[in-house]
Amino acid sequence: MNVQFKKGVLELCVLVLLDKQDRYGYELVQKISDQIAISEGSVYPLLRRLTKEGYFTTYLKESSEGPSRKYYALTEEGRTYLGELLADWERFTNGVNQLIKEGVRDE
Amino acid sequence: MNKEQFLTKLNDSLKRLPSTEREDILQDFREHFEVGLSKGNTEEEITSGLGSPQQIAKEMVASYRLEQLEETASTGNVLRAVWAVVGLGFFNLVIVLGPFLAIAGIVLSGWAAGLGFILSPILYLLNVVIYPEIFMLYDLFFALFLSGIGIFIAIGMYYVTLWLFKVFVKYLNFNVRMVKGGMKHA
Repeated sequence: MNVQFKKGVLELCVLVLLDKQDRYGYELVQKISDQIAISEGSVYPLLRRLTKEGYFTTYLKESSEGPSRKYYALTEEGRTYLGELLADWERFTNGVNQLIKEGVRDE
Repeated sequence: MNKEQFLTKLNDSLKRLPSTEREDILQDFREHFEVGLSKGNTEEEITSGLGSPQQIAKEMVASYRLEQLEETASTGNVLRAVWAVVGLGFFNLVIVLGPFLAIAGIVLSGWAAGLGFILSPILYLLNVVIYPEIFMLYDLFFALFLSGIGIFIAIGMYYVTLWLFKVFVKYLNFNVRMVKGGMKHA
């Protein structure tokens, strides 16, 4: 899949994953790469950017399995942004699906 | 590539960032390795999953420089886009409209030169019709020669125009993100 395209979607994936619960970096990366082929390293620049933009806050939490981990939590602003992105995504996929349907019918 | 090599490469590629920022980024990746190793992955598996450290660093540096950079999926009419960006503030009038007029000037003059050269034999013949007494074969051949060059210029301008258009749209997108980010920050 196109790299630029994936990058935009990646943002949505990260936000969705944090909607229900806080997660740490590795967990986010694994969840996404289980479903989509990505270079995992690109998730971290995204996490930093979204944190700087105020969509996440971070905190350190001890882990039973080793050193403490940095958790990401969605802020109110982030939740609003997620809502916007989801609406965009729906409009976008509906549009594309419609075009595909019409394209298939035309042929 | 093992963990040490990955982190070294990442660190080297982040040299342009302040050390606190760099250390923060490296810490995230150290944690990634630690968790990955504790889940039973090898260092090599983890590094190959992460991808190129240089690429990661590039993204980190870019997002550091344009702190609140936003993804904009807007394509569309260049003029409208220019106008929209110019509308964001007086600052943009200079840094968007300036380059836009310069690029438009280059493109326009390039095409004008190309077309002028291509049409030169016609212009010459027109001249001969009006002043038949000054006809010289040498001039006609020279005009034909110019016409040939004009065709090459036109072909070249076609690619130059396409390229400039692409570059300018990129610049515009970049500018929109910059300005938006800056505004949100303020």
